[in-house]
Amino acid sequence: MSGPRRPLDFGRWALLAWCAFSYVFLLSPLVIVLIGSLSGGEGDYAAVVFPPETLTLRWYGRIPSDQWQALGVSFVLGTVAALVAALIGIPAALGLVRSNIRGKFLMAAIFRAPLQIPAVVTGFAFLQLYYLILRGTGIELPGTFAGLLIGHVFIGIPFVVGAVTAVLQRFDTRLEEAALILGASRQRVMWRVTLPAILPGVYAGCLYAFMVSFADVPVSIFLTSSSTTTYPVALFFALENDFNPAILASASVVIIFSLAMLLVAQRLIGLDALLRSGGGGGRG
Amino acid sequence: MMKSFFGLLGVTAVIAGLQAETAIAQERFDGVTLRVGTFGGPWRDSQANIIAKKFEELGGTIEFVLGSPQANMARLIASQGTTPPIDMIEILDANLPVMIELDLLMPIDLSKVPNTQYLAPFQYDEMKVASWATQEGICYNPGAYAELGIDAPTRYQDLADPRLNARVIIPDINSGGGLANFAALAYAGGGDGENVAPAIEMIRGFGPVGFWMQGADLVTGMQTGDLLAGVSHAGWCIRAKNAGVDAAFVHPIINDDVVGVSKDGWLGIVKGTPNYDAAVWYVNEFIDSVFQSDFAAVSGVVPVNSISLGELANDPILASMMELDPAAIATQLRIDYSTVDIGTWSDAWNRGLTR
Repeated sequence: MSGPRRPLDFGRWALLAWCAFSYVFLLSPLVIVLIGSLSGGEGDYAAVVFPPETLTLRWYGRIPSDQWQALGVSFVLGTVAALVAALIGIPAALGLVRSNIRGKFLMAAIFRAPLQIPAVVTGFAFLQLYYLILRGTGIELPGTFAGLLIGHVFIGIPFVVGAVTAVLQRFDTRLEEAALILGASRQRVMWRVTLPAILPGVYAGCLYAFMVSFADVPVSIFLTSSSTTTYPVALFFALENDFNPAILASASVVIIFSLAMLLVAQRLIGLDALLRSGGGGGRG
Repeated sequence: MMKSFFGLLGVTAVIAGLQAETAIAQERFDGVTLRVGTFGGPWRDSQANIIAKKFEELGGTIEFVLGSPQANMARLIASQGTTPPIDMIEILDANLPVMIELDLLMPIDLSKVPNTQYLAPFQYDEMKVASWATQEGICYNPGAYAELGIDAPTRYQDLADPRLNARVIIPDINSGGGLANFAALAYAGGGDGENVAPAIEMIRGFGPVGFWMQGADLVTGMQTGDLLAGVSHAGWCIRAKNAGVDAAFVHPIINDDVVGVSKDGWLGIVKGTPNYDAAVWYVNEFIDSVFQSDFAAVSGVVPVNSISLGELANDPILASMMELDPAAIATQLRIDYSTVDIGTWSDAWNRGLTR
């Protein structure tokens, strides 16, 4: 059925080259980290050199134990922060898109505010707030997991609100009207029509919130304690003193883990659905 | 009679001495959790392996509050009015005036810090005790210098050789050693803490390839051969050497009387700490020779304890790069940050140097 293949003209070559450049641009840092983690060297010291002169896996055995612990903290923190951000962000997005209340634009701006405040300021502001609460109520948040979680939910909310809002704005409300006409209650319409339709946006928002939480340094650095140190903060501390291939080995483990998680997500959820969430996901 | 009197006196003195020693040895910290504000990574690990273990044997627990001294200072500022979250804190020389001005520190009972006997007098007073130092200077590749026919550097100005153009790297003013080296360049160029223009002129003259934020940039650049020299502390040069790079370190001549630059780290006890005795104990242990020697080897810093300085002299690489003579260390350039305005330095840097 397919017609004769067209010869590649200049435009198609340019497009292919641009695509190739994009892939190289996106993947080269990862490749450099992965290959750099195999740098050889004698004794306990080695400088990171790319490409490595000799290859070894020994740095993977020298990843400090605190970085493994921090990785666990970051994973749990990112997951819980994304879920809590979703619990706050989904109703917020519904309200911002569906309601006609006054000051809607101001509210929308408030939900975007965490993106507009420098993260390091956010971290210090939360630290001050926590001590204010401690002085006033005795509730201890500085250095606790709860305190860290609140900060990460704060920076994750705009991503959930943004992703869900994008889907809702393209959502065909006639589907809800049809369900209502057919006798479904408002609650049933919400659970059986609206929420399934906006799920790709929810997934996308949660994924972004998780990634922002997982990679954050400036907020976490003020809110962590020795038992709640997150992975990027642990890496940051390690980098302050040295930069050997063990750090790249540690980062490589995370890259491989992330790729594996993406594959699992693709199997369970379907990343193509996430990619479509910016388009007509609501019509799905 | 007289003989037996002195004999009795001697026995009494020995018993009293033993009792005092036992009292010190038996000082315990059961149930005490001491919060130590310090850097993370190997910096923390070294303390955990030696001091924290010793503290645990005395019944207590060490909790490390990790972060840069600036971040930990921010924690103290935010916590004012409550129990401070840190009992003993590491401080950089540039932050010390601010911490004292903000009344965040309390006096240290130096009678309980006997290890100060191994420090030089300028390294302690009632508000602070020196903990480590970095020696700032020039790390260079002697083999590459020889190939190019360039003499080994002795002064910062030697980095302005045209053959080194775009092969030299300088610390960014916001990096760990940035302020100390920027000031040192100013002094070396005839300026001082108030007149940093000579530093700007000198850096322009170097034609540096860039400004590093992490000393690892220097190590990697020298390993790949892209860099022939850089300004850093001796610890980074030692790491380069240990990683197989042909590297040597020079303590630059600042003027006729001063050779070398020292950036000092300090320990302070936080005002309002509920664990004062334990904090003082930690200060004493931090400057103990056992810890200082291990810490220097792990972190690449120069110990402050004179016994440790002597021990490091046995390491050929450390001895070749670090100044380990206490008398020479005492005369190195140190910046008194209480007399300078760092903000004007940053302004001068931003105006004078394009990146």
